[in-house]
Amino acid sequence: MTRFGIEALNVYCGLTYIPVEVLFEGRGLDMSRMANLMMDRRSIGLPFEDPVTNAVNAAWPIVDKLSDAERSRIDLVVTSTESGVDYSKSVASYVHEQLGLSRHCRVVEVKQACYAATAAIQLALGYLASGLGARGKALVIATDVAMVDARAEYAEPATGHGAAAILLSDEPRVMQIDLGASGIYSYEIMDTARPMPGFDIADVDRSLFAYLDCLSNCFTEYASRVDAADFQRTFDYLAFHTPFAGLVKAAHRKMMREFAAAQGPDAIEEDFTRRAGPSLVYPRIVGNLCSGSVYLALCSVIDTASYAGGARVGLYVYGSGCSAEFFSGLIGPQSRAVLAGMRIGERLAGRCELTFDEYNQIVKENQRILVPEERWDTDIATYREFADRVPGRPQLLAWRGQRNFHREYGWI
Amino acid sequence: MTPLMDSDRSAVEQVVCGVIGEILPGLAPATIPAGKHLKELGADSVDRVEIVLTIMDRLGLDLPMSDFSTIPSVGDLIDFLCEAAKT
Repeated sequence: MTRFGIEALNVYCGLTYIPVEVLFEGRGLDMSRMANLMMDRRSIGLPFEDPVTNAVNAAWPIVDKLSDAERSRIDLVVTSTESGVDYSKSVASYVHEQLGLSRHCRVVEVKQACYAATAAIQLALGYLASGLGARGKALVIATDVAMVDARAEYAEPATGHGAAAILLSDEPRVMQIDLGASGIYSYEIMDTARPMPGFDIADVDRSLFAYLDCLSNCFTEYASRVDAADFQRTFDYLAFHTPFAGLVKAAHRKMMREFAAAQGPDAIEEDFTRRAGPSLVYPRIVGNLCSGSVYLALCSVIDTASYAGGARVGLYVYGSGCSAEFFSGLIGPQSRAVLAGMRIGERLAGRCELTFDEYNQIVKENQRILVPEERWDTDIATYREFADRVPGRPQLLAWRGQRNFHREYGWI
Repeated sequence: MTPLMDSDRSAVEQVVCGVIGEILPGLAPATIPAGKHLKELGADSVDRVEIVLTIMDRLGLDLPMSDFSTIPSVGDLIDFLCEAAKT
């Protein structure tokens, strides 16, 4: 049987960050709550970074490594976002143009909060596996911008910025997806939403409790479809959608109580550290990437875990609204070698640290990014200095502004 | 399950207050005010998850977490658990 999965993977998580402790102090938040949050840094976008630039800046290092012949094999581009820039025109249409991909290509945008990219990946894998994909590569990009500010209280320090680009094909060098091995759970719920550009609403308990219910239900369905699937033994590593790392810890504890033989707190803690810990290294220093979050967690596993003989990873995604899925895949030594070319750890370490005052100024300016304007000139000059503080940064796409609502871009 | 008696309600209350006291060590179980939301007692979202899961463990209940997302106070939580235990 032909194998399908992730041929290449990259994340772009912005150029700047603020330490979570500095943000807690600046906002006057209760420092005792940092322990359960389990977050260390928050990536921040600059005012010339929008969902299109994040997507392109994540995908370009993948596309750039392809030969012309390989590049022309991409015949499906899907962007998933809850930061749409237009009611009709997709982010994907801009991204497809900026990446210089073949015009013989389907281009579409999908939305289901933090689940959407995974939905697109599963649909694309079905398309590729069917043999109907004439050229055989699909590019899915999860991309968002953060709108949160002080109003979000304890969600603010956990919210990230950026995009994840996932190239799918029958050459799954990064991860072979276990086709058909999945459990899904969906129902309507008003837990979080973005009813207007620049304004997020969130019912914390409703959302967290739904995340946890869906995880149990998804895994139950997964186990009913996969012979001998066992939460504790089947998966060497776990990579979950990470709104904040503390939730992943709570979710792991709940799953161990429900699906693993009775164990004490120490054994559960050891299992969490060993199997879920590697997935949290990057999310803890970036924040929640919405539908790209689980792929940031996967990058974290591939870059930081030990798996010389290969490993099976169990992945869980929850998207508010809600739709959720538990699925799995195989990684091996080649996964680490391929992902190393993206230098994710090095780029995260090279981000520029912001002071609280700089952060406040940028967060205020970022509120404009999704607001429809017929004409707008982005102030690149003021904020470029933050980008230029990043040592050895590559050329990046920047949002220059709008003319007749048409968004315009340039490389800086 | 047999219907709950008054003494059973008191047992549920003991479990609920005991668990809250374990997760939020600053609170003595006997002094937990029934009219307060867990949030007002200082429980963050992870604490609230842990409180609900531990209470269900102790009471032998298996309910969706979502059933607990709109319960306004500790007293209402006890009432809800008593009702759930009856069915």
